[in-house]
Amino acid sequence: MASSRKGFRLDRLGGVIAVLIGLALFAAPFATYRANRIVSGEPRMLLDALPPGLASGVLAAALAVAVMAATLRAAPVRLAAAGLGFAAVAPAMGMAALFLTPEGNTFARVSPAFGFWLLMLAFGLLVADSLTRLRLGPWGRLAALGVAAAFVALLLLSGAWSGLSIIKEYAARSDSFWREAGQHLLLALGSLSAALLVGLPTGLLCHRLPRLRSGTLQVLNVVQTVPSIALFGILMVPLGYLAATVPLAAALGIRGIGAAPALVALFLYSLLPIVANTVVGLGQVPAAVVEAARGMGLSPRQRLLQVELPLALPVILAGVRIVLVQNLGLATVAALIGGGGFGTFVFQGIGQTAIDLVLLGAIPTVALAFAAAVVLDAAIELANGTSHD
Amino acid sequence: MTRPSSLLRVAALALLAVFVTAPHLFAFAFEPLTENEAPAIYNQGSLLSLTLSHLVTVFGATLASTAVAVLLGVFVTRPSGLEFLPLSRSLVHIGQTFPPIAVLAIAVPLVGFGAKPTLIALFLYGLLPIFENTLTGLTQVSPLTLEAAKGMGMSPRRRLFEVELPLALPVILAGVRLSVVINLGTATIGSTVAAKGLGEVIIAGLQSNNTAFILQGGLVVALLAVLIHDGLMTVERAAARKLGGFAGVS
Amino acid sequence: MIEIERLTKRYGNSTVVDGVTMRVEEGSIAVVVGTSGAGKSTLLRMINRLIEPTSGRVLIDGQDTMSVPEDELRHRIGYVIQGYGLFPHRTVAENIATVPRLLGWNRKRIADRVEELLDLYQLDPAEFANKYPHELSGGQQQRVGVARALAARPALLLMDEPFGALDPVIRAKAQDDLLAIQRRLGTTIVLVTHDMEEAFHLGDRIAVMDQARLLQYAPPAELLTRPAEAFVERLVGSAERPFRLLSLSTVRDATEPGPASGEPIEASANLREALSRLVWCGRDALPVAGADGAVMGRVSIDGILRFGRPSR
Repeated sequence: MASSRKGFRLDRLGGVIAVLIGLALFAAPFATYRANRIVSGEPRMLLDALPPGLASGVLAAALAVAVMAATLRAAPVRLAAAGLGFAAVAPAMGMAALFLTPEGNTFARVSPAFGFWLLMLAFGLLVADSLTRLRLGPWGRLAALGVAAAFVALLLLSGAWSGLSIIKEYAARSDSFWREAGQHLLLALGSLSAALLVGLPTGLLCHRLPRLRSGTLQVLNVVQTVPSIALFGILMVPLGYLAATVPLAAALGIRGIGAAPALVALFLYSLLPIVANTVVGLGQVPAAVVEAARGMGLSPRQRLLQVELPLALPVILAGVRIVLVQNLGLATVAALIGGGGFGTFVFQGIGQTAIDLVLLGAIPTVALAFAAAVVLDAAIELANGTSHD
Repeated sequence: MTRPSSLLRVAALALLAVFVTAPHLFAFAFEPLTENEAPAIYNQGSLLSLTLSHLVTVFGATLASTAVAVLLGVFVTRPSGLEFLPLSRSLVHIGQTFPPIAVLAIAVPLVGFGAKPTLIALFLYGLLPIFENTLTGLTQVSPLTLEAAKGMGMSPRRRLFEVELPLALPVILAGVRLSVVINLGTATIGSTVAAKGLGEVIIAGLQSNNTAFILQGGLVVALLAVLIHDGLMTVERAAARKLGGFAGVS
Repeated sequence: MIEIERLTKRYGNSTVVDGVTMRVEEGSIAVVVGTSGAGKSTLLRMINRLIEPTSGRVLIDGQDTMSVPEDELRHRIGYVIQGYGLFPHRTVAENIATVPRLLGWNRKRIADRVEELLDLYQLDPAEFANKYPHELSGGQQQRVGVARALAARPALLLMDEPFGALDPVIRAKAQDDLLAIQRRLGTTIVLVTHDMEEAFHLGDRIAVMDQARLLQYAPPAELLTRPAEAFVERLVGSAERPFRLLSLSTVRDATEPGPASGEPIEASANLREALSRLVWCGRDALPVAGADGAVMGRVSIDGILRFGRPSR
């Protein structure tokens, strides 16, 4: 790998990123201005969205990132370039909101427009590319996630974005936001915990009794195939019946509508990845290792806890990752049947054609799913590291 | 494939066909679920046409995703596109953490209500599993086989069409199946943004508090999804069988 | 005839093949041996331009390989690799038909050729033509691999460890089959192996490579009796030397007049086999029988041993 050829060489991906940045700056609006929260917006280009001095500063910074992306190949430099891009453009969005909103007008709304999102995409690509090239270890990736989270938290807490429409939507319902956030996590994590409690023993059983295996997995596979909203709907009938006929069930909060069918459905969806990965994980423990453990006189229980489960852990964790990411997304749909969660804002927003309300629900959902994926990927890699040493 | 299971398939398909063409035959089963003289069978449109437009949406979007994803997959595995391969892998890995519903929700502000945001969401989300599986399929073709093909003087184009793609086919098909199944679900939710599809029945039930609608909508969607999944699985198995066993990528 | 002239391959600063010059006569088998990493496979793959040489050239029947488009060149050269690289999605018949199809032969001609090759390799066309590679045993796959390489009647066959994946019994049979077919078709073969036994069994000439260089290229007997370097001597195995030498001569060469008792030995057997028989049955000599079964003389231990020494 000695590509020590001298001279200028255009990086092709960097070139693509530079083109994206160019398009975002000169061919797409940076912000959208609306007289109130539901009318359609008017686009504002970057140069019109900020005071001239600031606008040219942001423009220069973004162009510098484009040039660096296209010409410099060292991953750390590109990562720094992307950082510069984010640091210049993200706060500028907040400034644009303040600049575009007329003094004292509380109805006007300013939202990020296509150009802003395209810039975020371009910088994000640059980050993803440099992180891929740096081959960060699990701790490195967790640290990168932490830095990103801290950056967003700083922007939110410092009030730099408080002029933005989405933050205004939040401010108008900050109580219900955190309540729905809690509900969202409860739905996703509650169903995951229940699935682990049921799925791990089931997986173990399927591993020990091959006759049980294909039937169980087939049934779970069919469940997994049923679209979420259909499964929610189908579950409403028996749960409603249960609530109507068994007073205890009703007293426990089980109702045909609301969180109960959502929780049950998410639980059912979670079973396949957990059970299947437990079976696969246990199945791929080398027979020689189990035989050796037996030869050394470990009891079946000790073999399971000290040998088989630790060796199967990475695969089981991979199942947990699938479930968690999937459930964090699917929990959004629960709002349709009154189950709460971030979906509440999404569907309210769709109903009111209030775009920023939709985003208030969608963006945290995406962020949560993304963070969960990064954390669990790191956990899988760490578990892999320990089981292979 | 045993006899009882294929019998079950035919029965399920027949049931679905009869139900969507003549739902009134089943009114007796749904009547107990209704209250206050509400209709037991969906009456705001024909189930058949909803089913058809649902299928057109899903398959149209998946077809487009397949074309684009396979082209992209081929591009990043050719020598000229190889430098995009690592990034592509990371991007599909990250991209699939995006909930399909979020993609739908974000598409609405961009293009408005109706079939468009649904199609866009289905197309975009459908790209990921197919692209990922195309990469997997094309990169796992045995280097020995490729060496032999090259050694016999097959041009790069022939190697792609006669060796690499046929060998990657079962894995690519698995990606298509995943996309279709996810899209069937997302298209159902698409009804909340006014796309024509089976979600309408469920949404109408939720809005009018009519459990009968919710259940029949849910059952039709579920049955459709299970049958399509099963059918695609069969195609995949057939493609994999002659390669010496079922790859079983899910 | 293949002429390799000062063929060199470098990757960055490391030289994988260093100025190799050798010539393979029409209809003969040249075996390239050496430790792994010696550059054997690279040398072979430069002949059909799977690897482009850094410098030097290869002439096939006087024509520079660089003057032919690479795919066209490869259509004319059979190529067999370890593991064979059969197309898993194509039947045995389709696999064999690969190059004829690339050359645009008509359907009838292809079908005839496939059947002919299956017969040649003792694979019943009715049974095997429509099987897929994964349904074949290792030995059958190997035969299909060679049949596929011979399909378009190439004058030259390149083989890279073609028997490496076979167990010893099947391997010996496959080597004998290859020899028989090569004698029949007169194909020129360049074969790479790290198995010295195989090299002595198959090679008309053996090329010994080490660390990118060709150390010696000579007939097997010369390699044993006059090794050019210490490495060659080590590679051919000092302890094995006499026996290898014996295996290169036949009983016919050592037949002397005179009587002997016991089961006659065939004149076409090699001397190593003959010695082994004599030691085993505890005799000093055995009668020699010609192809027709008539006794034509005898072979003795003393007579054999003379062939196991360099100065004869």
